[in-house]
Amino acid sequence: MTQEENGSSTSTTSSSPLQSFSQMPLSPPPASTAPPTPPLPSAYLQNLRSDERGLYLIHFLLNCANHVSAGRLDHVSTLLQHISLLSSPDGDAMQRLSAAFSTALARRSLRPFPGLYQTLVGSSCSASASAIAAARHDFVNLCPFLRLAFAASNQAIVEAMEGEKLVHVIDLGASDPTQWIELLQLLAARPEGPPHLRLTAVSESKEVTNQISVCLTKEAERLDVPFQFNAILTDMNSLDVEKLKVKTGEALAVSSVLSLHLLLGNSNCQIEDFLNALWNLAPKIMVVTEQESNHNSPVLTERFVEALNYYAAVFDCLELTAPRNSVERARVERVLLGEEIKNIIACEGAERKERHERVESWGKRMEAAGFGRVPMGYYGLLHVRRMLQGLNCEGYRVREEKGCFFVCWQDRALFSVSAWRCRRFD
Amino acid sequence: MPMEIENSSAMTASNSGSAEVSCSSSGPPLSVPLPTGPPAKKKRNLPGMPDPDAEVVALSPKTLMATNRFVCEICNKGFQRDQNLQLHRRGHNLPWKLRQRTGKEPRKRVYVCPESTCVHHEPSRALGDLTGIKKHFCRKHGEKKWKCEKCSKRYAVQSDWKAHAKTCGTREYRCDCGTLFSRRDSFITHRAFCDALAEESAKVVVAPLSQPPKEERSLVPAMSPPPPPPRTCEGVGLAMPLQQVAPTEEEESENPPNVPQYPPPVAAPAPPLPSPPPPPPAPPTPTNPTRNTTATTGKSTSTLSGSTGTTTSTTPSLFASLFTSATPTGPPPQPTSYTDLISHMPEPPSLCLSTVPPASVFMQPRPTDRRSFTPSIPTQHMSATALLQKAAQMGATSSGSSFLKGFGLDISSPSPSEQHQDHRGIRESAFQQWGQQLEPDSAPLLSAGLGLGLHYDDSGMSLPDLMMGPPSLFVSKPATVDFLGLGMGPTVGSPTGGFPGLIRPIRGGLDLGAGSGSAGGPFGGGATQG
Repeated sequence: MTQEENGSSTSTTSSSPLQSFSQMPLSPPPASTAPPTPPLPSAYLQNLRSDERGLYLIHFLLNCANHVSAGRLDHVSTLLQHISLLSSPDGDAMQRLSAAFSTALARRSLRPFPGLYQTLVGSSCSASASAIAAARHDFVNLCPFLRLAFAASNQAIVEAMEGEKLVHVIDLGASDPTQWIELLQLLAARPEGPPHLRLTAVSESKEVTNQISVCLTKEAERLDVPFQFNAILTDMNSLDVEKLKVKTGEALAVSSVLSLHLLLGNSNCQIEDFLNALWNLAPKIMVVTEQESNHNSPVLTERFVEALNYYAAVFDCLELTAPRNSVERARVERVLLGEEIKNIIACEGAERKERHERVESWGKRMEAAGFGRVPMGYYGLLHVRRMLQGLNCEGYRVREEKGCFFVCWQDRALFSVSAWRCRRFD
Repeated sequence: MPMEIENSSAMTASNSGSAEVSCSSSGPPLSVPLPTGPPAKKKRNLPGMPDPDAEVVALSPKTLMATNRFVCEICNKGFQRDQNLQLHRRGHNLPWKLRQRTGKEPRKRVYVCPESTCVHHEPSRALGDLTGIKKHFCRKHGEKKWKCEKCSKRYAVQSDWKAHAKTCGTREYRCDCGTLFSRRDSFITHRAFCDALAEESAKVVVAPLSQPPKEERSLVPAMSPPPPPPRTCEGVGLAMPLQQVAPTEEEESENPPNVPQYPPPVAAPAPPLPSPPPPPPAPPTPTNPTRNTTATTGKSTSTLSGSTGTTTSTTPSLFASLFTSATPTGPPPQPTSYTDLISHMPEPPSLCLSTVPPASVFMQPRPTDRRSFTPSIPTQHMSATALLQKAAQMGATSSGSSFLKGFGLDISSPSPSEQHQDHRGIRESAFQQWGQQLEPDSAPLLSAGLGLGLHYDDSGMSLPDLMMGPPSLFVSKPATVDFLGLGMGPTVGSPTGGFPGLIRPIRGGLDLGAGSGSAGGPFGGGATQG
């Protein structure tokens, strides 16, 4: 037996009962390990252990994705049936993951039938921006990923703004005041005293910006930091950089948390134009937090596999972080992550907004637009590490590589944080 | 004179008043007389936005770098600050009139840096404070005249230098891994990455361990007391300094992972750790004089590292990486002691996880797995990521794919429909045979599965890798599904005689108990035939 040849040591242990089975002569299998009677499929399936079930699900999902991509609806349908037997939005991580992905696949398979797609998918399309913002807020509270990313970004901003007296921060795709509360605290604690802080939040939802405004104004008053808030209600695609009202002479910081990828939808030019426009504003620092995964391949199956791996890590994290009946976890999984998954798998063209890309691709874009990389710095890493220890969470990691931070679950990087400056004179 | 006082009451009174105030109290000295009374705060402009009608002054570099800008006209003594000069002048007992400052500053002044390449050269970025611009100029464009004696840092501004000197060298820094630093910056730099390594290796093992922790803990205290436990820290100066480092909580928790990281090439994990301290030091002592002069732990570490060279075929690169850099000379092989040590580990949890019975332990921790370990609680609950990895691994091996075929999820049917029909027919009949074990009712599941072969061209490109590394899950085997073991394709058929044999393991495999953690129950069926 070639035991050593493969990495799957699991299957090659001498202790595996499988081998003993395979050696056995033709005869009824030992009933000890087999279920007493061969059950009906569903009953049989329910007797599966969770990892077996998980493996089945993976196989079904991959097969299904393949069929969806090839348009074989009948196969898709059968597979989805099987998946539905095994998956459940309230089960373990793999089951929830499968529920989300199978829904996305089902939607995807309707695309060739525009009428069906429109009726079923188009209308009940996405949750409202405020629901998503609430889910995002839950996610920030539940898992520390984004908080770590915020801490790293804030650290970079504060370092860049050392000595500045007037700081203008633009938050692209604002959804959560947590980051800015921390920034206010960091700035208030500066040895030279806090600067005057102006925050311009770009968001689609007035509720969100109102909430941010209220939270931050209160915090700024408490800390005695001169603070000014502006809101711009638009989506990222139609953002006019002029509207940001950047005054000359103020030190500008741009922050984008999981928002820049929304601009990749229409055409490559849009993101370039946008970055060029930002460059013209000469920001002192631009911090970009993005999902660290490539969900922007034009090939569905590639996207599917990447997304499966990526969201598997996120769902695992949620499984270990929150109990199964947690309402917040359900919201995060269904509203936030579910919508992202649906968007990645089921949509195309301008509709497909969640075009995540890895930080190397972003790096190339930024450099092409005239930005130079600002390494995130050791102090930032230390700060974030300390925060991580303070949070006392297992499994969360922060890694630094080539000047970027990666917030990871176990070994899988989930979010990347990178900082850029406007390279104007060199 | 009194008249003068009264006349100029507005200004002088406040001036003298303020002068009195400033000398009697230790409050903030007021500089030039203000139109408003002393208690009013000076009007400050918004920081970063200089007063638009302020006078922009560009002092010459000489002026900026000059230290004694204010000179007493009476005795020509120089002062750095205007207030100090004023104080001094009072000592000359000047008459009232002369005491007033002539030429009060009528306008607010802002200062720009004379250096043209500097950001603050532009009036819009001017600084409002004279001291500020002087310091800025010195720092950025000046020569660094002040040098710290202890470290080699240089400063252009004396106050910066003084501030540094207060803290420089006052602390020595020692990293957990034992390296000493006199400079805080290099210490922090080192720690950022040293911590990284330490934490990752610790957490990698610690995190998924839900069951074994107890054992680990019991392991740790036993290990820890007299000989400081071996440290995880890779690379830098381990062995020696380690012993002196008092085990902290953190260290202890990192220990068990440390040791178990050595993939036990030899099986003997079962016996719980009887008395750890004696064994590690004892065996090595006689046999391993080693370079580790220092205490017992040194022995254990060196032992372990010693075994690097020797041990077994599966000496992991991990192992090597852990210690090679630290061990300049390969210590004499200590296979026995190493084994002893390892044998004392209860179920050395592999890099990955588990509480698993010993057998499985050896399966999982492979050096390469270090990066892609599969966290899971082996028997019951595997995380989704772990499942994906497992599925990928299975797919990567012939066993995996043969299992797939066995299960019916065959991958190599270029012409889907017909072949599926065929296979379906074949398999269904085979399943009929299978009768006792599987009712035809369940056949739909399988046959449905059968019909769902993945349509791959030979390049297997349809579904890219599950994992970035391992080959695609559904590696396309050259065409035929040798499901029946007819010898048409690759060795799919089980050595036990083809189809039935294949079926059974699948069936049996489906109920694979815990533990073997092996390639998942059902899918491992065909695996072992490889």
